[in-house]
Amino acid sequence: MKSLQQDWFSNVRNDLLAGLVVALALIPEAIAFSIIAGVDPKVGLYASFCIAIVIAFTGGRPGMISAATGAMALVMVTLVREHGLQYLLAATILTGVLQMLAGWLRLGALMRFVSRSVITGFVNALAILIFMAQLPELTGVSWIVYVMVAAGLAIIYLFPYLTKAVPSPLVAIVVLTVVAISMGLDIRTVGDMGQLPDSLPVFLLPQIPLNWETLLIIFPVSATLAVVGLLESMMTASIVDDLTDSSSDKNRECMGQGIANIASGFLGGMAGCAMIGQSVINVKSGGRGRLSTLAAGVFLLLLLLFIGDWVARIPMAALVAVMIMVSIGTFSWSSIRNLRKHPATSSMVMLATVTIVVITHDLAQGVLVGVLLSGIFFAHKVMQLLHVTWISEDEGRVRTYHVTGQVFYGSAERFINAFDFKEVIEKVRIDVSRAHFWDITAISALDKVVIKFRREGTEVEVIGLNEASTTMVYRFAIHDKPDAAEQLMSH
Amino acid sequence: MTNEPMTNEPMTKNENKVLACVDQSRFANYVADYAVWAANRMDAPLEFLHIIDRHPAIANSDDRSGAIGIDAQENLLTELADQDEARSKAVREQGRLFLNRLRERAVAAGVASPDVRQRYGELEETLVEQEAGVRLFVLGRRGESAETTQRDLGRNVGRVVRALSRPILTVTTDFTAPRRVMIAFDGGIVTRRGVEMVAASPLFRGLPIHLLMSGKESQDAAKQLEWAKTTLEATAFEVVASLIPGDAELVIAKTIQEQTIDMLIMGAYSHSPLRTLLFGSKTADLLRFTTLPTLLLR
Repeated sequence: MKSLQQDWFSNVRNDLLAGLVVALALIPEAIAFSIIAGVDPKVGLYASFCIAIVIAFTGGRPGMISAATGAMALVMVTLVREHGLQYLLAATILTGVLQMLAGWLRLGALMRFVSRSVITGFVNALAILIFMAQLPELTGVSWIVYVMVAAGLAIIYLFPYLTKAVPSPLVAIVVLTVVAISMGLDIRTVGDMGQLPDSLPVFLLPQIPLNWETLLIIFPVSATLAVVGLLESMMTASIVDDLTDSSSDKNRECMGQGIANIASGFLGGMAGCAMIGQSVINVKSGGRGRLSTLAAGVFLLLLLLFIGDWVARIPMAALVAVMIMVSIGTFSWSSIRNLRKHPATSSMVMLATVTIVVITHDLAQGVLVGVLLSGIFFAHKVMQLLHVTWISEDEGRVRTYHVTGQVFYGSAERFINAFDFKEVIEKVRIDVSRAHFWDITAISALDKVVIKFRREGTEVEVIGLNEASTTMVYRFAIHDKPDAAEQLMSH
Repeated sequence: MTNEPMTNEPMTKNENKVLACVDQSRFANYVADYAVWAANRMDAPLEFLHIIDRHPAIANSDDRSGAIGIDAQENLLTELADQDEARSKAVREQGRLFLNRLRERAVAAGVASPDVRQRYGELEETLVEQEAGVRLFVLGRRGESAETTQRDLGRNVGRVVRALSRPILTVTTDFTAPRRVMIAFDGGIVTRRGVEMVAASPLFRGLPIHLLMSGKESQDAAKQLEWAKTTLEATAFEVVASLIPGDAELVIAKTIQEQTIDMLIMGAYSHSPLRTLLFGSKTADLLRFTTLPTLLLR
């Protein structure tokens, strides 16, 4: 009861106002992302308010804004182009189902394998993609468009110095629209980009054949959408966690994203997820509770119903200006400064993530590469934590090798190379009691060493293998044995 | 207790203490005075606890510009962290001064070395954590929010009382040293244990006790009441026992008036929260009804 009250009604005035600011900023984004995906603006707008409203109830991170996003739009381009809107709606529903499954399986925990550098890379790639998506509106157009975009950006960034009571992107849109209409400028408007919503969305089943072929068409897209959506949502959730110094329920968020996407698909909307830029705007404007998310969705709906006709007359240049702002605000500029400061491997992970995403337009692939690289770099670092020292004993008859550190697939070769098989000696003693054998590769490396020595006619004695291989046991659970960690570090 | 800071004070200092839970309302003084009274009578250590409930869900922003520029996220994080830091420091300092005033008040009233402490957290949660070292809780039946709302019973009280298992002295009015104490006795296990506790504790020693039983008259009731009377008299209490049939609430209210009782002892919330939701709570009704300091037994 208490948390219900706290989630919804502890911050009413701020939540409502922030919701309004966000709703205004959602309009250009939803339209822009619909254009990216190749569908009518109404698909993105339906998706945005539907997802915002549903996630207000089902999400696990109060105050986070979810709607139609660029990251998702980019994934669906090919599907829309080759198969049309109905397949997109079906894919959206399937995405929701997969995300609910992920929530049910508690896959939110997998986020811990996504390192800081990968997250930074993801965010930067996202910003670059949002910016690149604006380029078609900026190439081969008259100089008027450039002036309009520049003026739009100037208003967005300078107007807050005048007053912070009114959202400056809104001012930019209104001013540019008024100028374009009153001067009769011949430039592209939102109305030129496709159909806008003219009514409330209605429940409808996607018109597709329900067969195996259809599944083969939509499943790969849905799977990617599910992954990208959850990745961006989890990242945004932890950003909002940090900003508001509070915690969120990641698995509930997975479920909530799924439910929101299913609802969106049935109401004729495209798949969406959490939005970093909008969530930052929401928190900045004072939004904290679920009410802010709900308000964003409801205001968006009301705006569309009441000023829908005017939305069609907004020049695209105004939207481009807003989207450039979102891209600037999303990009982590400090990561450029940090390129030299951070370890080279971290910077490489970040850059690799960005590069892959920009090439493939698929954030999932970028993150996969980033995570793999981080894993490899980490393994490489741990590899260095292996030391083998040796000492001759018993008047040159016995040599003892002391192995200290981590032996696993990455360091197995180093481990083998540390032994001198050419030495002519009676007996070799290998003391591994201060080493950790992490996997089968490590054990087989030890076997290999033993066999090699035996072939030279050398007797081999291994000391402390039991202690060393406790790490191999999968259920070597630190959490239920308070002294386990100490044990692990002591030998 | 494991989470106690190590000090040079003897370890017994923080055990069996009287814990006065105060917030920054006028009730703090009442709570303090009753806690001082209890601590002095029981010769128990006294600690004032001020709980700071942080509300991360409440924002104070007037920036509706909706524009995000370079490093928007980092800048916002820094800004919010700075605000929180300033607010936390201010609240901490304010709380420290407020607790210090209460400490001085307690020292003036003869408590040797009252301790003060501020903790972050939620009231119920914090008190449950602290419970192990506590002999008696003292808290206001209303608090800070009472100044602005018209609720009769602080919204926290019911929940907190249910969560705790030590006796809780709840107060609403200015301190008057109790002279006549009444036990609302229902023969149940809670009040029977309560009678034994009162008999054994120095808290009420020397005060005349009025044992009141109401409800249906029965042989069993009379026997129970007799048992309670003898138990109390065994430790030299001066006891008046009466068995008055009728509606418990009305009978208790009437007797309080007639006998000029100034402290009430009773069992609290012995029924499940569900039952309370459906039928209301006798305890809550009584607490709302009377302004007497009331010792709730669990």
